[in-house]
Amino acid sequence: MTQTLDMHGRVAEVADYQAPKRASASQAAVGSESKLAIFAITFGIAFAILYTLFERWNWPLFTYHPAVNRLDLFKAPGVPEDGPPMFWYGWVVLSAISATVVSLIATAFSPQALQRITVFLCVLAGLWPIFYALAAVIDEQASFNAEFLRSVWTPGVPALAGALAAAYLVSPASAARVWTGWLMIMPIGGLVILGYSLKEYFLK
Amino acid sequence: MDSILSIISVQTLWKISLFLHFVVAVALLAAITLQAALVLAPSPQVAGAPAGSLRPLLLAAPSATLIVILYLVQALLGAWVYVKYRTYVRIPMEGLRHWWTVGAFEFKEHVITMGLALLPAYWYFWRDPASQQHSTIRKWVTVFLAFSVWYGLAVGHVANDFRGVGS
Repeated sequence: MTQTLDMHGRVAEVADYQAPKRASASQAAVGSESKLAIFAITFGIAFAILYTLFERWNWPLFTYHPAVNRLDLFKAPGVPEDGPPMFWYGWVVLSAISATVVSLIATAFSPQALQRITVFLCVLAGLWPIFYALAAVIDEQASFNAEFLRSVWTPGVPALAGALAAAYLVSPASAARVWTGWLMIMPIGGLVILGYSLKEYFLK
Repeated sequence: MDSILSIISVQTLWKISLFLHFVVAVALLAAITLQAALVLAPSPQVAGAPAGSLRPLLLAAPSATLIVILYLVQALLGAWVYVKYRTYVRIPMEGLRHWWTVGAFEFKEHVITMGLALLPAYWYFWRDPASQQHSTIRKWVTVFLAFSVWYGLAVGHVANDFRGVGS
């Protein structure tokens, strides 16, 4: 009986001895879990924004010429004899690499800081094309010379101000609530911009 | 590539590639459509769902992993046959002024790319399907992927009808 009690005591001691180890392992698992979540969610948001930008600016990592089976670095339309150039591969690869880098950097931030940065960047990405479109409308309608509004950088000023204000004013709870929501907003927003850029095909 | 082309003609190679692209599309479409339908449908409240129901199978992490693999394979096959589309299909399509088809196909590139962007998050959200934490975003990411596959298949089918297998 004494031996049994003694054994129970030792088992309990061993269990207590291992408790901090288990807690530490559990914390590490939670930490890596949240890092995985940060990576996966940031990748989706960053990829959608970057792909839209690279497509609109036509910044491929490489250009493929299928008719002559040649690969050129960056944007290389080539001569007409080379046939049609293909940029899509270059946009996708560049977006994937850039989004991976952004997502890895994002894992270094605390969730709170990251969610606020995401609000800033996503609002900036949303406001910039809105102000750009608005500037184009003003330039068309204005009786004075508003050519400066056509610059891609002019609408960036109010967009930057709006994004800074949003990031400053948003509460941590709201930033956390909307964080995963950017995963839907950014790809759909990107598709709206990219779809609009194809309107000529549908209006011909 | 040369060893393959010594056995079959270039034309046959493209036809096989396009057919594989179609077969994987159908498999992916079936899996993602059923999964999207199940996440949109209200969950059964009564106990005793029919034995052998597809629900637990499709709403499980391994199914999501399979869908991710199928989506990646499908995107790679699409990227492969896209070369042929650009030179052999799109140029006569433009010549015949099929602008809607050209535009819809251009948009398909973007829709599929956005789907690729969401794959890591989709896979992550489906690691624990019982978790309520990401249930809403898990549902909408799944629906978005289903939409991208449906759109891709519909537009790809139209392009194939213009100049592809059996056209």
